[in-house]
Amino acid sequence: MSKSTVFVGMSGGVDSSVSAKLLLDQGYQVVGVYMKNWSRDLPGMKCPWAEDLADAKRVAVKLGIDFRVFDFETEYKQKVVDYMLAEFKQGRTPNPDIMCNQEIKFKLFYEVAREQGADLIATGHYARVLSSNSSLDLTNSSLKISNTNLGLTNTKIEKTNSTLNLSNNNIKLANTSFGQKAISKTPQLLLAADNNKDQTYFLYRISAVSLAHTIFPLGNLTKPEVKKLAEQFGFANAYKKESMGVCFVGEANMKDFLRDFLPEKYQQPGKILDFETGEFCGYHDGAVFYTLGQRHGLDIGGGLPYYVVKKDMKNNLVYVSRNLQDKNLWTKELILEDVFFRETPPRNIRVRLRHRGELLPAIYEAQKLIFPEKTRRPASGQSAVIYDGETCLGGGIIL
Amino acid sequence: MNTTEKSIYLDYAAATPLSDKALMAMTPYFSEKFYNPGSPYLPAKFVRDDYEEKKSQLAHIIGAKSDDLIITSGATESNNLALTAVSESGKILFSATEHDSVRVPAKFHGGREIKVKPDGALDLDDLRKNLDDETELISVALVNNELGTIQPIAEIAELVKSERLRRRLAGISRPIFLMSDASQALNLLEISVGRLGVDLLTFNSAKMYGPKGIGALYHSRETRLHPLILGGGQEQNFRSGTENVPALVGFSVAAGEARSHLTSSRKNFQHLKRLFQKTLTDFSEITPLFLGNPKKQLANFSPVSFPGLDAERLIYLLESAHVYVSTGAACAASKGEKSHVLKACGFSDDIIQGSLRITFGKDNTEEDIILAAKKIATAVNSERTRLNV
Repeated sequence: MSKSTVFVGMSGGVDSSVSAKLLLDQGYQVVGVYMKNWSRDLPGMKCPWAEDLADAKRVAVKLGIDFRVFDFETEYKQKVVDYMLAEFKQGRTPNPDIMCNQEIKFKLFYEVAREQGADLIATGHYARVLSSNSSLDLTNSSLKISNTNLGLTNTKIEKTNSTLNLSNNNIKLANTSFGQKAISKTPQLLLAADNNKDQTYFLYRISAVSLAHTIFPLGNLTKPEVKKLAEQFGFANAYKKESMGVCFVGEANMKDFLRDFLPEKYQQPGKILDFETGEFCGYHDGAVFYTLGQRHGLDIGGGLPYYVVKKDMKNNLVYVSRNLQDKNLWTKELILEDVFFRETPPRNIRVRLRHRGELLPAIYEAQKLIFPEKTRRPASGQSAVIYDGETCLGGGIIL
Repeated sequence: MNTTEKSIYLDYAAATPLSDKALMAMTPYFSEKFYNPGSPYLPAKFVRDDYEEKKSQLAHIIGAKSDDLIITSGATESNNLALTAVSESGKILFSATEHDSVRVPAKFHGGREIKVKPDGALDLDDLRKNLDDETELISVALVNNELGTIQPIAEIAELVKSERLRRRLAGISRPIFLMSDASQALNLLEISVGRLGVDLLTFNSAKMYGPKGIGALYHSRETRLHPLILGGGQEQNFRSGTENVPALVGFSVAAGEARSHLTSSRKNFQHLKRLFQKTLTDFSEITPLFLGNPKKQLANFSPVSFPGLDAERLIYLLESAHVYVSTGAACAASKGEKSHVLKACGFSDDIIQGSLRITFGKDNTEEDIILAAKKIATAVNSERTRLNV
């Protein structure tokens, strides 16, 4: 039987480099791909795309695999950057990584890779997939997957120290001598083994089709383990600083980016007002730069810190409060729009309101999230990602 | 990484190690003789004298006087300064294979490219065609930094001389100058600005086993340059800034060393080149295409191409084998741009993408060269296998 061909996205970082090697060791036909999404320098920040490409290619050559560059700059600008700017202009706080995964890394990349002969794609994300193409090793693991139907026809199950809770989904347990491997017909996105690094928050909008053809080689590994592997494999980038992916990720960089890309009219000074009293507190350099709950960057004098509690984009006003309990910052309900689910969520779910955030129990009902207690309200434009057990079902954009 | 294996460096056109003699000569000027040459007290005066003496020696190497030499931070600055000889309405003609430090500012000032022939030599017909009453500067590097092509500077100088005469007889007062970047040439060619017939000549310490960050610009008495950097008025107002004494000393010593070994160096490199090319041909399963015209190529340049291969991959394979070479292919290092020099010579994409820049230098031994050639052949063969070509 011929080997499956996997196109692995290689960013030049440790994670994707180790992923490529693991796939090679697992017997796949591997092709390394550098996705060129952005190459423009920003004020105060040189775009590292060329160095990253060199790092990725270097690893590919070391592994003896084919290496290609997919130029997605045009599409990235349209689908991620323009989307992001449009959201900011509305006074919202978007998450470009989520859109990048939806449109570029797991859509465009998937499509072009398939055109060029890929059976599967892979990235160095910390997440796990359960699909008919990607099996999950359940030896010595306690994996809770709810809503599953267990098909146990003609299989011998060897349970080795594992607790398995499965209900209502199409999961088959295949017989192997390495323990239990689970395969699912409907692809499932599961939390990574490394809770600290889990990136499912950013991956929630991947389509079922893409997911069914995706492998995450690092899903069962911790970051320290990956770094160790990189050293063992002799990768020059084993010690490379954590790549930020795109230059404008990160608060300070985002502000520089917006200053460069937003029209002047969004960057006019405006008043900061106390939400309770309406009193004038100071000036800001453009309401667009502020986000709900933000504490820094407010040029107001001493005492207790001020938090942004509301924005008025039309009048370029920012409202602040010293009261951490201000009702604008807390809510028991969140309405979602642009919802995306690979499977219909049950009523009782867990939700993440930010990357690596706590999994909060909640009720999901008709695009509405209801929390048992008051919860810190995320800024409009951020995502709420919904989990059932270890499975990430999807989510939506917070209104 | 195995740090005990000796590395073989074959990219001397890009950078050279500092010569021991130069380092020794420089060292006192960092510590005991650290004074500012512009200061009034005696120790400073001695430093100033040393500076002037070394600068004179440097000028002498190219057949010029100290006063005709401007010391800068490198060839890029020298080239930019040289272009100020051109007036607002004057036109610049430059060869299509010039280094970016000439091309970019020349283009910025509306300059026009002159074609080159497939071997990289300037197309003199194209030059004549483009030469007109408005031309004020022709810029052609003496030796091209990728192919090692030696340009017919003396012939071009004749052209410029006749043009100058023609203008004088026609009553046209606009001057015309010949500029040449000789950075790659000083190691192996005898340079005399008088014999070359140039009005402007730039050269670079870093390419000749001198310290980095220092270069020079020779300018004839007829040129009128405008300083790019204003301030304390050093270098006769042409380039302000406290003199970099240790660097100039190192530069001068290194240049002197190069000058005294020209013939033997050339002979040595011709020999190494022959050995390299033969070994490579013998061991490689793909016939190497040696670029440039060997009759007009500097002795230490051996650019080669393996059409159909990806040179960037070869470079990474070679670096694992501790052999360091460069390329004219579009790669991460070039920000995805193909070598404009190879493009100008009309090489196909296949040839450009498979091209390696190989330049020999002082520390290369016969054993090194043979070993390197074998390693390059190994890398080529493994890529060939991988691609099934």
